[in-house]
Amino acid sequence: MEYRLRLAKRMLFNKKGSLIGAVLAVTIGILVIHVNFVIFQGLFDAIVRDISDYRNGDILVTDEADYIDKSDLSIVSWFERIPYVEAATPRLSSTAEMNMTKNGKLIEETRIPIVGIDPFRDVRASTVHETVSEGSYVFSRNSIVLGSNVARDLGGAQVGDSVKVLVVDRWGEDQIRRFTVSGIAQSPGGQGFDYTAVIHIDTLRDMMNRQGDTGSFMVKLNDPTKAFEVKEFFLRSFPNDDFLAETIEESAEEQLAGFRSGIAMINMIGYFGMMSSAFAIVTIQMMLVNGKTREIGVMRSIGAKRKDILIIFIFQGMIIGAIGAGVGTAAGLGYTFYAKETKMSFNNSLPLEVTYNWEKIIQTALTSFVLAIIASLYPSYRATKLLPVEAMRTV
Amino acid sequence: MTKIYGEGENKVKALDNATLSVEQGEIVLIVGSSGSGKSTLLNMIGLLDRPTKGKIFIDGVDTTTLDDDKISSFRNKKLGFIFQFSNLLTDLTVLENVLLPRQIGGTNDTAEKDAKDLLKAVGLGDQMYKRANKISGGQAQRAAIARGLINKPSIVLADEPTGNLDSVTSETIVQLMKSMAKKLNQTFVIVTHDRQHFGDVDKVITIKDGKAFEGDMPPEMEVVA
Repeated sequence: MEYRLRLAKRMLFNKKGSLIGAVLAVTIGILVIHVNFVIFQGLFDAIVRDISDYRNGDILVTDEADYIDKSDLSIVSWFERIPYVEAATPRLSSTAEMNMTKNGKLIEETRIPIVGIDPFRDVRASTVHETVSEGSYVFSRNSIVLGSNVARDLGGAQVGDSVKVLVVDRWGEDQIRRFTVSGIAQSPGGQGFDYTAVIHIDTLRDMMNRQGDTGSFMVKLNDPTKAFEVKEFFLRSFPNDDFLAETIEESAEEQLAGFRSGIAMINMIGYFGMMSSAFAIVTIQMMLVNGKTREIGVMRSIGAKRKDILIIFIFQGMIIGAIGAGVGTAAGLGYTFYAKETKMSFNNSLPLEVTYNWEKIIQTALTSFVLAIIASLYPSYRATKLLPVEAMRTV
Repeated sequence: MTKIYGEGENKVKALDNATLSVEQGEIVLIVGSSGSGKSTLLNMIGLLDRPTKGKIFIDGVDTTTLDDDKISSFRNKKLGFIFQFSNLLTDLTVLENVLLPRQIGGTNDTAEKDAKDLLKAVGLGDQMYKRANKISGGQAQRAAIARGLINKPSIVLADEPTGNLDSVTSETIVQLMKSMAKKLNQTFVIVTHDRQHFGDVDKVITIKDGKAFEGDMPPEMEVVA
């Protein structure tokens, strides 16, 4: 084995306290990044997942200026012919006023978002129906699913209650219908329809006086990585329509932009943590250099050049970096595995979307390895500056 | 050569125009009282320090003109060192310590065999795989002698090689150096207080107030040594 590497290793391993301290510094730096990633990227991905699952799908098709007037069947059939497409479903949105009598008291609520869905297609393209914690999803033209917060605001509406819904139609006329509550929806993290009411799309079309119109189509893919490809294909196929097709990243951009900068900030804090560990390495290696003054003097006196001394201590930095990166990455992966297996949730509600981002994992390990080497440069340089005759006096 | 430390009023002349010459295969003792400049002279010859004035020729090379890297190479190939406290690297085994100068020089062909032969020659054939801090002071000094000889240097410089040893061990080390000098036609320059331990040697240089004189130091100087 190259003698400088052997010396670097022996000097380091014979100072176990320093070695453990330096490795721990690197490990903690990496672990902070992994924990940050699991929690904050997991939270971000969970929100993206829920927006995709509940509202926008992998591709959201709208009309640039107005409602889509092509039939549901033609659009859905077009999409479902593509092998990457799992399902597509139409949606129509509006706002409503609602009232119900509870315990002899009339409770009114205004400006409640209301979504019209196709009960048969929606369950294939969305998982909103899975958020119905009591009762069942919309199954008939006069059934309504209330979000848990809407139900609460209506004085504690329950399955089987009767709710009066008012929607203003396209001509400005009030359209009132009575619905029976078929279910209450509650989603972990609140990204679902907790603040929304859901009814049959045809009922909402009738109430809005928009027969045949659709607000949007939510398209779910079996391979979300093909979203851009499918979107582009769709737009090319309907060149004369004013369709707007967006992938989840595009359609949820506004909601996610703030979150993205938050994650960037958290990552920066993580990298600052890593810088702190680099300073810890500088301190520990300076102690190692000071503790090896005599050895440096001996090596210089028997012919070692400054370059050899520099290499020995840089090798130490590399060893610290390699072990630290290995242990830190293992610890980080352990934490990620734990978070994934236990379905860790944020604030005990929203289940985090935990993924192994290998690119990020390797990048973090390499960054900490390189930082450890950079951190070893100054102590190594100081070691080369020791004059042999001075170093020998420390005997 | 002359060596001056400090500046202005703090100026100290450690060596004052000291001159000496050493021939191949000689054992040269440098003696003198404490603070006389013995170790300074050895550091100059060993290229661990540079003279303020004067020149040092080793094998015909003016070493005062060499840069730091060349001095390191020169030290590695032409000089061997034996220190008062053996100064073995405690992180390495005895064998690895002896091998180190050869590995630093980058000539490894017969290194291990040579190192083992040398260790056997100094009586450490059965200790070579022990960590350097697991052997006695006398054994460590033998290993240091083997390390000083591994690169077949022009001069082995020994700074108080028996200074930290009991009289029996000191005697053994002195005899070992003498026998190696004879066997290998090796030049030794030895700084010592233990003049009597070395008996007959080829040359004695006495240092007094930084000046070098050939010949044994007078008895009154030995008292203060």
